[in-house]
Amino acid sequence: MKGLGRGLLTLAGLLLVWQGVVTLGELPPYILPDPLAVAVSLWGNAGPLLGHAGVTGLEIVLGMLLGTLLGCGSALALGYSRCARRWLLPVLIASQAIPVFAIAPLLVLWLGYGLGSKIAMATLVIYFPVTANFYDGLRHTPRGWLDLARVMVPGSRRWAVLWHIAIPAALPALGSGLRVAAAVAPIGAVLGEWVGSSAGLGYFMLHANSRMQVDLLFAALLVLAALAVGLYFAVDASLKRLLPWHSATPETTETD
Amino acid sequence: MLNVLRAVLLLLSLAVLAPGAWADGQPANKKLTVMLDWFVNPDHAALIVAQEKGFFVAQNLEVELQTPADPNDPPKLVAAGKVDVAVTYQPQLHIHVNAGLPIKRIGTLVATPLNSLVALKDGPVKTVADLKNRKVGYSVGGFEEALLKTMLAKAGLKVEDVTLVNVNFSLSPALLAKQVDAVIGAFRNFELNQLDLAKKPGLAFYPEEEGVPPYDELVLVANRDQLNDPRLGRFVAALEQATLYLLNHPDEAWKAFVANHKDLDDELNRRAWRDTLPRLARRPAALDEARYKRFAQFLAKQGVITVALPVSNYAVQLPLPE
Repeated sequence: MKGLGRGLLTLAGLLLVWQGVVTLGELPPYILPDPLAVAVSLWGNAGPLLGHAGVTGLEIVLGMLLGTLLGCGSALALGYSRCARRWLLPVLIASQAIPVFAIAPLLVLWLGYGLGSKIAMATLVIYFPVTANFYDGLRHTPRGWLDLARVMVPGSRRWAVLWHIAIPAALPALGSGLRVAAAVAPIGAVLGEWVGSSAGLGYFMLHANSRMQVDLLFAALLVLAALAVGLYFAVDASLKRLLPWHSATPETTETD
Repeated sequence: MLNVLRAVLLLLSLAVLAPGAWADGQPANKKLTVMLDWFVNPDHAALIVAQEKGFFVAQNLEVELQTPADPNDPPKLVAAGKVDVAVTYQPQLHIHVNAGLPIKRIGTLVATPLNSLVALKDGPVKTVADLKNRKVGYSVGGFEEALLKTMLAKAGLKVEDVTLVNVNFSLSPALLAKQVDAVIGAFRNFELNQLDLAKKPGLAFYPEEEGVPPYDELVLVANRDQLNDPRLGRFVAALEQATLYLLNHPDEAWKAFVANHKDLDDELNRRAWRDTLPRLARRPAALDEARYKRFAQFLAKQGVITVALPVSNYAVQLPLPE
């Protein structure tokens, strides 16, 4: 509840700064529309905005799922096979080094103007943080736990150690990766829409921009921001519930 | 907390001060910044030749040509006082002025439409009517939809009979990759040659033959508060000189065009150049008010703009230097 109040206060502060910039700078609406015009536009176009937000949301969620699956698979392979480390690690790093923006037009031509190319871009954007974080977690299983396993169950199989010890120990790290992924996945989806689409918030923004409906552009931006923040908190909340042993530690060290 | 406050204040003061500083600090010297609509191409022949052959210098102008990241930006930059002149499209001019942008057309570069609806010649689309239940790519929301709607209507179709895909200016690739069946917004002088060189010749449908009133594809706009600036008249006069030079000496003009743009010296641009020359405005300053009025009425009827404003609100014919 306290968090909600703080969020509202931040929001009010931002709106105030926004209105202040518009009023003091005497900015015309095509440079920066005032918050009220955006609110009116948001209200008046709620239907189409929600429809496009649904498309973008679906792209983000599917991209998250695919990216997480691929990322987890890659991290496991990296953690448990020297061969994979040798071959996959350069690919992993390249996947982050190549600006998605540069290959976005190609992805659209290969995968078409539908959902496919957007999901691919969201997947590409989150693949690295998920893989890197999970792999890091897998590499840093506490030594003592592994020793304990060896002592308690002599001759225990590698997969059993992996399943019962290494993966649970690495889950908090994977959680960090997923939080980052939740924050950046919308970038991938909207980027895909920007390059070519017939639906989604990115498409709607392009459309508004070329028709000089800057207030509508900002309204779509707000919806996108709300979607991204909502996704982040949803992921954060489910991670806290699924990994109680992780969230317990940092909460107690936080000072207010 | 104090740091945050300071940062916010700094940002705020920057945002407040910046536009004012730009608008005031514009001395009436000979320097003139011109923003193109797109990367340099033969549509800009008159501008580049005027630059290379010294027609701007002869008018005591030092012109700086800039290229935007997005063709929607240049008119906004003129409105914000960041550049003096922008190259834009007549349909966009109507939309922008109706949205309150303080800009006016001061000259014309290309006096016919270039925009066309293009399909692949060996594809299934042979007439506009064949587009039923097919995908059409476009880049500029609003206007290009209206163009398509008008062309479809003449063929007995509704805009709902096709699927519109925003391909964001990736027209030829979208068509070649067969991700769309046709594109609107393809320039007849450029994309048609591009397709031809890719060994996939295109089939063009011309809007002005399918019910759309003719318009000027490329126009020059300036801020309406700066129309008294004598540099603008000299600028348009230099373009008039450059255009005549282009017509009289096409080979020398081509050499001047590629002199400082080596990347443009290829088959595509040579062909586009050939196809563009007859479409250049012979009288860049001249304003055909009746034609602008007719086009504004068309846009209003199509719902692209809410109302057809008087032509004097968005276009002028500048006095030329003696």
